[in-house]
Amino acid sequence: MMEYGINEEQEMLKTMARDFLAKECPKTFTRAMMNDQTGITKDYWKKMADVGWTGLILPEQYGGANMTFRDLSILCEEMGRMVMPGPFVSTLVMSALPILNAGTEAQKQEFLPRIANGQMIMTAAVTETDGDFWPGGVNMQAYPRGEDYILTGAKSFVPDAMAADWFLVACRTKTSADPEEGITLCLVNKDDWGIYVNPLKTMDETRKQYQVTFNRIAVPAKYILGEVNKGWRYLKDAALRATALHCAEMVGGGEWVLETCVEYAKTRVQFGAPIGSFQAVKHHLANMYTQLEYARALMVWAAESVKENDPQADLAVNMAKAYCGDTFKMVAGLGIQIHGGIGFTWDHDMHLYFKRSRALDTVFGDANYHRELIAQHYD
Amino acid sequence: MVSEQSGKETAFRKQVRDWLKTNLPKGWGTPEYHAPERQTEAAQALGEKWTKTCYDAGYAGFGYPKEYGGIVRPDWEIRIIREEFTLCGTPPGPMSQGLLMAGPTILRWGQEWQKKRFLPKILNGEESWCQGFSEPDAGSDLANVRTAAVRDGDDWVVNGQKVWTSNWMFADFGLLVVKTDPAAKRHRNLSYFIFDCTSPGFSRRPLKQMSGESEFGEMFFDNVRIPHKNLLGELNMGWYVALTGLAAERSGGFAVGGRSTARRGWGNMESIVELAKETKHYGKAVWDDPLFRQRIAQFAIQGEAMRANGALQGAMARQGKKIDPNEVSVSKNFSAELRQHSDDMVMEILGAYSQMVEGSPLAVNGGDWVYGMLRWRGATIERGTSEINRNIIAEKILGLPREARGND
Repeated sequence: MMEYGINEEQEMLKTMARDFLAKECPKTFTRAMMNDQTGITKDYWKKMADVGWTGLILPEQYGGANMTFRDLSILCEEMGRMVMPGPFVSTLVMSALPILNAGTEAQKQEFLPRIANGQMIMTAAVTETDGDFWPGGVNMQAYPRGEDYILTGAKSFVPDAMAADWFLVACRTKTSADPEEGITLCLVNKDDWGIYVNPLKTMDETRKQYQVTFNRIAVPAKYILGEVNKGWRYLKDAALRATALHCAEMVGGGEWVLETCVEYAKTRVQFGAPIGSFQAVKHHLANMYTQLEYARALMVWAAESVKENDPQADLAVNMAKAYCGDTFKMVAGLGIQIHGGIGFTWDHDMHLYFKRSRALDTVFGDANYHRELIAQHYD
Repeated sequence: MVSEQSGKETAFRKQVRDWLKTNLPKGWGTPEYHAPERQTEAAQALGEKWTKTCYDAGYAGFGYPKEYGGIVRPDWEIRIIREEFTLCGTPPGPMSQGLLMAGPTILRWGQEWQKKRFLPKILNGEESWCQGFSEPDAGSDLANVRTAAVRDGDDWVVNGQKVWTSNWMFADFGLLVVKTDPAAKRHRNLSYFIFDCTSPGFSRRPLKQMSGESEFGEMFFDNVRIPHKNLLGELNMGWYVALTGLAAERSGGFAVGGRSTARRGWGNMESIVELAKETKHYGKAVWDDPLFRQRIAQFAIQGEAMRANGALQGAMARQGKKIDPNEVSVSKNFSAELRQHSDDMVMEILGAYSQMVEGSPLAVNGGDWVYGMLRWRGATIERGTSEINRNIIAEKILGLPREARGND
C-alpha cells in the first residue's frame, strides 16, 4: 500500500544515517574526495558496508538487508543533505539491480554478496558522446566471436569508473528500428587489459565522471547479463529507481541549503538589523520553503510508486524529477544570493550544493525532458 | 487478492457515486446545465439546498462534535466522500463562509450557548454567514481597524465601516472585529462579536469588482447594538480569535486541479489538454507546440504536487505528528499562484478569443475561462496577500525576525 508517512524504523534509519554522515562524511572528507581521482576511499566504503547500506535493498540470500525502496530513498535524502561523494547509486542501483533482475544464479552469487559486503564497487557504462541516457545513444558495438562477445569503442560521462571494480556495459549487438531492441549487457572487469579510464574534469567534483575506452575486450558468455539484444529494459528499470533516488538527494540537499540560509539570515546584520528581517530576504526563504515542501511530496510519491511497482510510477518519477530538479537549482542559487559575497567563495560549502544541483538536474534527463514525457502521457 | 478494507471502500465509493448521480441538480456536469447567475437569490438557494441535501444524507458536517450537529464517520469514508465530491465538481454549498470561517471560530472560542445555537444551522446550511474584518484602512494591516464599539448597559454600540465582505448580500449573521479599548496597545484593543444582520442601523451595499460582478460588499454600522453575550473569546483579545478564522479561511485553498465540470467550474488538467488539442493557431494545434506542452506539463506537476502534499500531511496527522498551523499560508500561496499562472497560460492558448467575454457569441466555454482569469487576480490578495503569507511562512515557520513596522 502507498504510505506517504514514515514509520518508526524509518525514523530510526534517518537518525542513524544523519549521525553516521555527520561523523564519517564531514565537508573536510568531501573536499578531500574532490581532490581524489577515485572520489571515494575503501575505508569509507567499508564503514558503509558495516552498517548495511551497500546491500540495503538486496535480498538476504545475497547478503543484503532486504529493506524497501522507500527506506533506500530515506537514506539517499540524508546522503544528498551532506553532498556525499562516491558510487553509491552506481553500485547498488544501476549495477546490482540489473544483476538481480536479469542475472543467472551464478552471476548473482558472484556479484551480489560482494556488493552487499562492500568488497565490490560497480558502475554502469551506458551513455556515449551525445551525453544522454537513452537507448538510441547506445552505439558501441559488441560482436560475437565463438562463445565470446568482443567490445570495442568508448563510453562517456561514466560515473565512478575509477572507483569501480567491474562495469556493467551496454552494447549494441543489433541495429533495429526500435532502439531498445538490440542492446546487450556485459559484465566487464576493470582490470582487463585494453580498458582505459580517463578522468573528465567535472564542475561537481563530488561526482566523478570518466571516459572509458574498450579496446577489443573479450566478454565470455558467462558475463553476458540477461538475454542478448534484450538488455535495455533492465537498465531502464534501474534508471527509473536511480532517478527517484536522485530526487531524494535533491530534496535533502535543498533542505540543507534552506536551513543554512535561515541560520545565516538570523545572524548576519546589515543596516543595524538581521538580514532575515527584511522582506526581500525573507520572501526568498519563504519561496524556498514552499517549493521544497512540494518537491518533497512529489519525491515521496515517486519513491512509494516505485516501491509498489504502481502503474503510475513512470509518471510520478517524471513529475518528481522535473520539479525537484528545478527546485534544487532555484534553492541552491538563492543560497548563494542570500549569503552574498561569502556564498560566492570556494571556502563556503554553498557552491558544493549549487554544483550538485546542476549535476543532478542533467542526470537521467533534465526537467524539460521529463515534462515532455509527462505531456506524452496526455497525447 | 482484494483485502476486506479495499472491498468495503469500493462498495462505499459506489454508494457515494450513486447518491451523487441521483441528487446533483439535473444535467449537472453537462453542457445542458445552466447554473444560476452568480450572486443571485437563485444561486444562494441552490447552495443552501445543496448543503442541506448533503448534510441530511450524512455527506457533510464533518469535524464537529455530535452535540453541535456534527456528523461522525470513519476517516476513510470522509476521504472517499471528499474525493468523489471533488471529481463531480459539486455546487458550492458546503464550502460557504459559515463552514469555512464562522464554524471553526465558534467551535474554538464560542460559549456553550453560542455553539448550541449557531453550529447546527451552519452545518445544515439553514443560516448564512459573513465576516466583517477588513476596512478601508485595515487591509493587510488588519489590526489597524477603526470600527469602534462602546459599552452601553448590556450592549455594545458599534459605529464604522467594513469592506471586502463575501456573502454580504445573503448573510443572516456576521462575525465582527471592532476596537473596544482605544487606549490599549495593538493586538490588545480588539474584540470579536457575533452580530445579527437584521439589527437596526446595519446596512450593506455591493462593491463592483474588476470581473464586473459584486461578490464582495461593504457593510455600514450606524449605532448598531450588539448584546454583550455575543462576545466571542475574551474582551479585548479579539485579534487572537480572528487569527483562527483567518487560518481556517486560508486552508480552503483554491479550486486547482479538481475535475470541476460545472459551468462555473474551472479547468483541470484534462480540460486544458482538451482545449489545447482543439485550439489551432497559425494552422497548428496548440498541443503540438513544444513550449505549451512544457507549460501544461508543469501545471500537471504542480496539481499533482498539491495532491501528494495533502496525502503526506494526512499521513503525518494520522501518525499523530504535529503539523504547523501556519502551513495553510504555504498551501494558500501555492494554489493561488498556480491558479493565476494556469489562467494566464489558458489565455495564451485562447489567443484572440481571450478577449471575448460572457455574452459574446465568440466567447469560449461561455466566457468562463476569461471570467476565471479576471476573478482570480484576487486569489493572491484575498485571505491574506501572498506577501503577508510569505511573512507568516518566514516568521512563524522558519523563525526569522520581524521587520520593524511603522506602527509598532
